[in-house]
Amino acid sequence: MKEEPRIVAFLCNWCSYAGADLAGMSRITYPPSVRPIRVMCSGRVDPGFILKALEMGADGVLVSGCHPGDCHYVDGNLKAEKRVENTKKLLGILGLEPERLRLEWISASEGTKFAQVIKDFTEQLRKIGPNPLKTKTASRIPANVDELIAETVKETNIRYCLECGKCSSSCPVAKLREGYSPRRMVEKFLLGFRDKVLSSDELWTCLTCYQCSERCPSDVKYPEFIRTCRTLANGGVLEEVCAHRGVPQALSRMMTNPKLKQNRMNWLPDNAEIAERGDLLYFVGCLPYFDVIFENLGLESMKIAQSVVKILNRAGIKPVIMPNEKCCGHDLLWTGDIEKFEELAKINVADIKETGATRVVLACPEGYRTFKKDYTEVIGNMDFEVLHISELLSELIQKGKLKFDGKLAKKVVYHDPCRLGRHMGVYDPPRSVISSIPGVELVEMGRNRENAECCGVNAWLACGKCSKEIQLDRLMEAKNTGADLLVTTCPKCQIHWQCVMTEKVPNETEKVGMEVRDLTVLVAEALNLK
Amino acid sequence: MKKTNSVLVIGGGIAGMQASLDLASRGMRVYLVEKTPSIGGRMAQLDKTFPTMDCSMCILAPKMVDTFRHPNITLLTYSEIMEVSGSVGNFTVKVLKKPRFVNPEKCTGCGICAQHCPVEVPNEFDMNLGVRKAIYVPFPQAAPLVYTIDEDNCLKCELCGKVCLAGAIDYDQKPELLTLNVGAIVVATGYDLFDVRKRTEYGYGKYPNVMISLEFERMESASGPTGGHIVRLSDGRVPEKIAFIQCVGSRSIKGGLPYCSSACCMYATKEAVLIREHNPKCEVYIFYNDLKVFGKGFQDFINRAEDTWGVKYVRALPGEITEDSKTGKLIVWYEDTTENAIKNLKADIVVLCPALIPKPDNKKLAKILGVELDQHGFFKSKDPMLAPIDTTVPGIFIAGYCQGPKDIPESVAQASGASGRAAESMALATVKGVRRTARK
Amino acid sequence: MDVPEVVKYAETLSNVAYAERNLYTCSSEGLRKIKDAIEKHNLNRVVVASCTPRTHEPLFRATCEEAGVNKYLFEMANIREQCSWVHSHEPEKATEKAKEIVRMAVAKARLLQPQEEPEIDVTPSALVIGGGISGLTAALCLANQGFKVHVVEKERELGGLLKKVHKLYPSMEDASAVLKRAIKAVESNKNIKILTSTVIKGVKGFIGNFDVIVQKGKQKPRTIQVGTIIVASGATSFEPIGMFGYGESKKIITQSQLEEFLKTGKLKKPKRVVMIQCVGARRPTGRTYCSRVCCMTALKNSMLIKELSPDTDIYILYRELQTYGKEYEEWHRMAQDKGIKFIKYALERPPEVTVTPDGKLSVKVHHALLDEEMTIENDLVVLSTPLIQHEDGKALSQMLKVPLGSDGFFFEAHVKLRPIDFATDGIYVCGTAHSPKDVAESIAQAYGVASRAAIPMALKRLRTEAITSSVDESLCTGCGTCVKLCPYGAIEKDEKGVAKVTAVVCKGCGVCAASCPERAITMRHFTNEQIIAQALAALGRVPA
Repeated sequence: MKEEPRIVAFLCNWCSYAGADLAGMSRITYPPSVRPIRVMCSGRVDPGFILKALEMGADGVLVSGCHPGDCHYVDGNLKAEKRVENTKKLLGILGLEPERLRLEWISASEGTKFAQVIKDFTEQLRKIGPNPLKTKTASRIPANVDELIAETVKETNIRYCLECGKCSSSCPVAKLREGYSPRRMVEKFLLGFRDKVLSSDELWTCLTCYQCSERCPSDVKYPEFIRTCRTLANGGVLEEVCAHRGVPQALSRMMTNPKLKQNRMNWLPDNAEIAERGDLLYFVGCLPYFDVIFENLGLESMKIAQSVVKILNRAGIKPVIMPNEKCCGHDLLWTGDIEKFEELAKINVADIKETGATRVVLACPEGYRTFKKDYTEVIGNMDFEVLHISELLSELIQKGKLKFDGKLAKKVVYHDPCRLGRHMGVYDPPRSVISSIPGVELVEMGRNRENAECCGVNAWLACGKCSKEIQLDRLMEAKNTGADLLVTTCPKCQIHWQCVMTEKVPNETEKVGMEVRDLTVLVAEALNLK
Repeated sequence: MKKTNSVLVIGGGIAGMQASLDLASRGMRVYLVEKTPSIGGRMAQLDKTFPTMDCSMCILAPKMVDTFRHPNITLLTYSEIMEVSGSVGNFTVKVLKKPRFVNPEKCTGCGICAQHCPVEVPNEFDMNLGVRKAIYVPFPQAAPLVYTIDEDNCLKCELCGKVCLAGAIDYDQKPELLTLNVGAIVVATGYDLFDVRKRTEYGYGKYPNVMISLEFERMESASGPTGGHIVRLSDGRVPEKIAFIQCVGSRSIKGGLPYCSSACCMYATKEAVLIREHNPKCEVYIFYNDLKVFGKGFQDFINRAEDTWGVKYVRALPGEITEDSKTGKLIVWYEDTTENAIKNLKADIVVLCPALIPKPDNKKLAKILGVELDQHGFFKSKDPMLAPIDTTVPGIFIAGYCQGPKDIPESVAQASGASGRAAESMALATVKGVRRTARK
Repeated sequence: MDVPEVVKYAETLSNVAYAERNLYTCSSEGLRKIKDAIEKHNLNRVVVASCTPRTHEPLFRATCEEAGVNKYLFEMANIREQCSWVHSHEPEKATEKAKEIVRMAVAKARLLQPQEEPEIDVTPSALVIGGGISGLTAALCLANQGFKVHVVEKERELGGLLKKVHKLYPSMEDASAVLKRAIKAVESNKNIKILTSTVIKGVKGFIGNFDVIVQKGKQKPRTIQVGTIIVASGATSFEPIGMFGYGESKKIITQSQLEEFLKTGKLKKPKRVVMIQCVGARRPTGRTYCSRVCCMTALKNSMLIKELSPDTDIYILYRELQTYGKEYEEWHRMAQDKGIKFIKYALERPPEVTVTPDGKLSVKVHHALLDEEMTIENDLVVLSTPLIQHEDGKALSQMLKVPLGSDGFFFEAHVKLRPIDFATDGIYVCGTAHSPKDVAESIAQAYGVASRAAIPMALKRLRTEAITSSVDESLCTGCGTCVKLCPYGAIEKDEKGVAKVTAVVCKGCGVCAASCPERAITMRHFTNEQIIAQALAALGRVPA
């Protein structure tokens, strides 16, 4: 190897950093591959740092802290251990060698150990090879800013704004966040106060839920306008405003690298029948990653994918599942990273073409919208039909391919996800699927269909007090219908609600417990699929 | 060429009546065809009119009576146009007189039949807030004051025939097809209301205290279903706060119609003033986007409404209405655009001002007449600036709201205009047997 | 108020042969009942106690006529607007008052005499005052129906306001082309006589028989005889002297001046334009009205500037955007499409225009919907000012004896149902003389007045008012007081030096009868005796 492997090392102040110093004082030599970053405690290291380092080209990342029991801050090192374990799992799925990430306990007196660890690690990395990732660090603000602005202004109709204020008073965020007004953002942008808009906090608080656009008499597409503003703001490189330390976005970006071959099929049930080429392709999405990132929520995201495969098999379909399926890019698009999004779009469409699939079904409304609407704008005609799982299930039930034997005596309330409902106009198929399950009573919330309240977070942005209030409000509304289950067709909605129900939300007066289930899991249950 | 001195007027509202009276007063024969059982149109449904606050029926009734009694006007109510052929100066029109099953010569308008009729149906005149019988007159000052049997809802129990002292009920009445020969046609079919259920965020149909303006107008009319008492439809209580929402379905590229309905800012102000007159303790808020004050006396009217009557104008269009289930009050969410704050108003009643739209039947009528409709469904003017009253067919003219959004004085002036054009084009058409087209 | 009690009371009054209660007397049914009662009880006087006579008196009078009773033998007692509606808190007192009002009406009714309405001939020719698009349209419409029309225009050329306009929205046709066509049609019509550079010097007469004195230039005045008069005198533009820096810089102009520049092609491509709406209009006092067409004119001219110079930045500072009607909202959108910026300002915080010493313009405006102060440097400020009545409008209104409204424009007979008539019969109004409006609305009104004016001219004869005064020659001393006081000039001294009333000119005000020292003048239908009888009846005294 020509180049020396580069290791970014996070060393805790009390132990590991001191140990490294000792190695220096003792004149113990080791390869010049490590770049130390001092932190007070190894518990300070979050997965976002690790992924950032790897994304930007570090060949290896070392996290080192005190021996268990010795942590200056009680058990920060144990937390670091858990996080590193988790991140390794993510790397494993991603297809980046988990060995590139290493956790060590090095005490202040272990100068020799430090040197040895570096020697070993460097050798190991030489063997593994250089990091295929080396995303450019410069911000991805596109070169053709004026063109982009002109196009956006035209397509989003912002010029037709009548300044009536319907948008602001429909916005779930505006009701809770003083001073937030979509109308004022548009007006400021039009009048030339562009910088104010691009540097504002409000740029990132929009949930892109489409409630404003739905009611706007001038058909202003505010979410798409915000999206472009986000691109203009800084090309989408923005960990500060992303929840979960920008990890999901980082993973999405890393997937664009052709050298990474993911390991994302372990969730498949043993008796599952899938194919590599075929007519119908099931696009799984980010579920394998969510399973790891949100382990603490007890979500079992993979149950969704498993249910889909089981149901399709029952209906006599062997879906194509791509073993190296990339993220659809939704979260990158909505945080403004158009460049990376377009890369993902091209890769995915090319990969799907290889499989010969003429129909692509997604169990995620975000993926659904991204494929059906946003990909079409980038790619053009895609040669395959895009369906949401509810549309496909509805079709299969109508054709008699799926028959429910027993009864499922549950009262179910259905939530319209923003991307499926207001964005794409799909309101009835999920309802018809639920209604066709014998024994199930379907009830509606007052705010349903085009008036459904968003689950409070979009693309992991600006998750905060406001989001939590919105989520609790919605869960309360669901609970008040008296339903047993809150059924949705969006894994993200599920994550957000589960999160607010699990965490201790400040100033919470009552806990809202509502059982949330994905439509596919419900259907699988009803079909008695194990 | 046959010389005819007759004109057909389609639509018996204020525009149709004005055009008819102008033509009849100068000695021309007018056939006034009206679809419903009585002339009067929308003005009959109004309580007062802006900006003068005249009692609508008081200024309308003399016109109705004049129209009804004028020797030169043949009133064909409960009738429809079936076919039109010919050209300016010589149109042949086939009119279908629908059977009322009541003999107009004998009916005295006493109303005993309605008293005994067992069928109650929602009263369209009262915007379905009240009921009428299957045998009915649309409103007490109807002209002609002849009862009509609503065939679709009649049980055929024949009770009315038994109790009628004048022997006016005629169950065997058949539809009559009349053929008329006229020199010109004036179309004045008026307007309909946008279906506000399409704007689901306002909850019309879901929340009983969300009303549309014409319903509210009927409620506050002394001759309306509540005798002029303004109450909440949900529980009959007297309201403390009433909110008007303008532009529901107007000025919309999506989910409505793109034009401004031009009368709503003013009629909402009128209704607001009436509320304040009726009940000074009730607060009234009008949520608007741009106040349309372009007409004569409009700005003064709004100033009076604000200064003298304390009507509050809020520069905002609300995003949504929710209901406080405990009190039944409606929560109106809006952005106070002058203060940059999201606020809500707890109102007892919300009155939605819907877009005023061309009647859906215009399509059928346009086809029969051979005239064009514009992209909204209004009758198309030959030239919107230079020939607003002419249609694309010489000899056929338009007046009133069916030509485009306008208020009553403009409709009346335009109706006189249409009669002027009708007379002019007929005069030109009969010169030397050569048909002259209308002046460019 | 207890109506049955009033009915019962009415029955007790002497000469009352029959009294009846009705819910809607003005309806067809109610009218029928009146006729039936007249026949059945052989009535020769009728009193209807209900609403104000101002609404339904003609209706009831006509009903009496149809039943064979002279219409002037009918009297109304207003027990609604002037009784039940204003005394709803004191029903007993209201009932008592109603009884007395009925008593008064009956007292007068006893003394009523039948009257005749004299018929007059109608000269089948019309005078159109004003040769703008309204006047020309009305003239042509009447001429095509065979009536003779005189068009009097005070300027040297026909055309009015449209002469200054460049293009007409929404078709963007050249206003001059439109005018040319209209003028050509009018000039080539043999029923129309055009008098330019001509002013009205005086008007005498009445419907069907007007004598109008006109003077062309410095020539001798002459009289035209017409049957009807149409006022189409138009309006003029307000000049905002002293407002928003007007007059301080050549680059602060009015919308009309902008129109002129666009028309003559003299507009130098400005980099940035600021248009200010409602200049001198919609004020809290004084000119309170909205001039209706300025918002659209601003939009139209903005689009024209953009056509000339697509890179020009345009700001329109408005208070309420008047994009009413079928097409105007679409124009608003087109303007928005072109990047024209709309900024709302509040009445209380108007924009400030400053001219720097080196001639640069700057407009400071408080954006009412963003709550932000903005300063816009520009090189052209356009002020949209309202249309106002001509300076000689008042003089014209006095000559015609028709009123002007508080906004200075001609005031119609009834705002809702008689928008283009004057209270004075035979005179009509259309176009911007009535109120600011655009070309389509002016044309519609012009056809309207043509239709209204055609009615008396087509009938050729007209029945006139019976309520006029007459002089008892034997009592008249020829003092001339009545002649001086009559506002219509209806009384003159004849060859014998005795006052004589021209009944058809008399409007029935009664000033003469009240002023005659000899009580020589009788006001028909409102005689001294009748009025005194009403007063005595009100006080419960029996007439002498």
